[in-house]
Amino acid sequence: MSANNVKQPQKNLPTGVKGALVGAGASCLVLKAGSGYGWMLRPPGAVAEDDFLKKCLRCGRCAHVCPYDAVKMGKLSDGLAIGTPFIVPREMPCYLCSDLPCVKACPSGALDPELKDPLKTRMGTAVISEREECLSIKGLRCEVCYRACPVIDKAITVENYLNVETGRHAIFEPVVHKKDCTGCGICEKACVLERPAIVVQPLQPPTESWYES
Amino acid sequence: MKVNRWTTGRRCVQILMLLLLATPAFGWTFFEGNLGAAAIVGLQLSDPLAALQILLLTGTLTATMLSGTAIVVVFYGLFGGRVFCGWVCPVHLITDLVDLLPWPKRLSSWSLEWKTTALIVTVIMTVILGIPVFETVSPIGTTARALTFGVSSSLIIIVLIVIAELVLVRRVWCRSLCPLGGFYYQLGRFSPLVVAYDTAKCSHCGECRRVCFVPEVLAPSLKSQRNMVHSGECTRCGACVGICPEKALGFALRNPFER
Repeated sequence: MSANNVKQPQKNLPTGVKGALVGAGASCLVLKAGSGYGWMLRPPGAVAEDDFLKKCLRCGRCAHVCPYDAVKMGKLSDGLAIGTPFIVPREMPCYLCSDLPCVKACPSGALDPELKDPLKTRMGTAVISEREECLSIKGLRCEVCYRACPVIDKAITVENYLNVETGRHAIFEPVVHKKDCTGCGICEKACVLERPAIVVQPLQPPTESWYES
Repeated sequence: MKVNRWTTGRRCVQILMLLLLATPAFGWTFFEGNLGAAAIVGLQLSDPLAALQILLLTGTLTATMLSGTAIVVVFYGLFGGRVFCGWVCPVHLITDLVDLLPWPKRLSSWSLEWKTTALIVTVIMTVILGIPVFETVSPIGTTARALTFGVSSSLIIIVLIVIAELVLVRRVWCRSLCPLGGFYYQLGRFSPLVVAYDTAKCSHCGECRRVCFVPEVLAPSLKSQRNMVHSGECTRCGACVGICPEKALGFALRNPFER
């Protein structure tokens, strides 16, 4: 009798449904748990991060068309961002192609097709993150980031002032102007230090309407 | 051993599809994307389940995705939804090959219906998590990404599927669990192209049922006097057509609304 009961399909199905629910719940936890790694530099035209995660199909077309292979794809450890594209400027920055092939390739609008001018992209903004290490601020003639910048004299300018330590030299400090910075990361790539003194960081606020919404 | 021409042909198509997915890695440009969204020499294609998830999450679809989805729906609507599984999907190729390993075969008692449950769970989780869940964790997308961007930790899902099929239940992912399979099953229910057989020629040797991926939908059709496999579960793989020594099985067209 009991052996017959075990074989009844009605007995098996609820267990299976429970299993499916446990599996779904567990995968939710895994996905949520891995999502705390912070910020990813998205390709040009990327919509705000929340929207980006909704719209991105993880198809990899932006990465397939990137002539510099700058676009990488998220891995398991990137949590919710598995399979989403991002750029690591120190490995390969965005060179702001004039025809924006990545934006054209995106089928779902995660990279906004309204972006036509690469210099209008705002992926993030460069920041001098290590003032004590920056060779220019130390008083040397470096300014490599300034000269590498595709928006030279707008996104990065050089401000010179008296070096008070020597009292007879000038300091040529690179200054980033967020308004014109594309966040391409070419400066971060170009920085001559082993640990770059200038890095791309997220825009804060990320969009114009950030305070209103 | 007799060569099953349909299975050989299908294997060639599966391998070509795998190579197509890998072409961006060779620097070729005629194909970009994966099975979720792609462009083949400029022709935009997108998976209807991917489009459904984006539509649920954002309330809109781009024209590119809408037209790409329309082409895919019409194609699989005509040829049988799960033709995707049998002929195109790289995961099906992997599990086909795993199934060929000399390993004790455990017959599946898992219901084919679960795919539909998996599909519903996927859609609900998409809304809860705010990401297109299937595109994120799918073994299909993971395989395609591994082909062009290199092997990564995400491939764990393929490893889990292979282990499950070897030690748990034969063909469990493709038969019972894949949400996309569940989606294409629904689409294939209305396809005009079906497997049909000639009752007069049949010698009841049972070869077709032995090679069938979903024998539970083939067997009842053979026993009844309905001479067509009407179920959307059929992948139109043609293994039964190729194996039949009496040539009693073949492909035929039906009126999809006549049951």
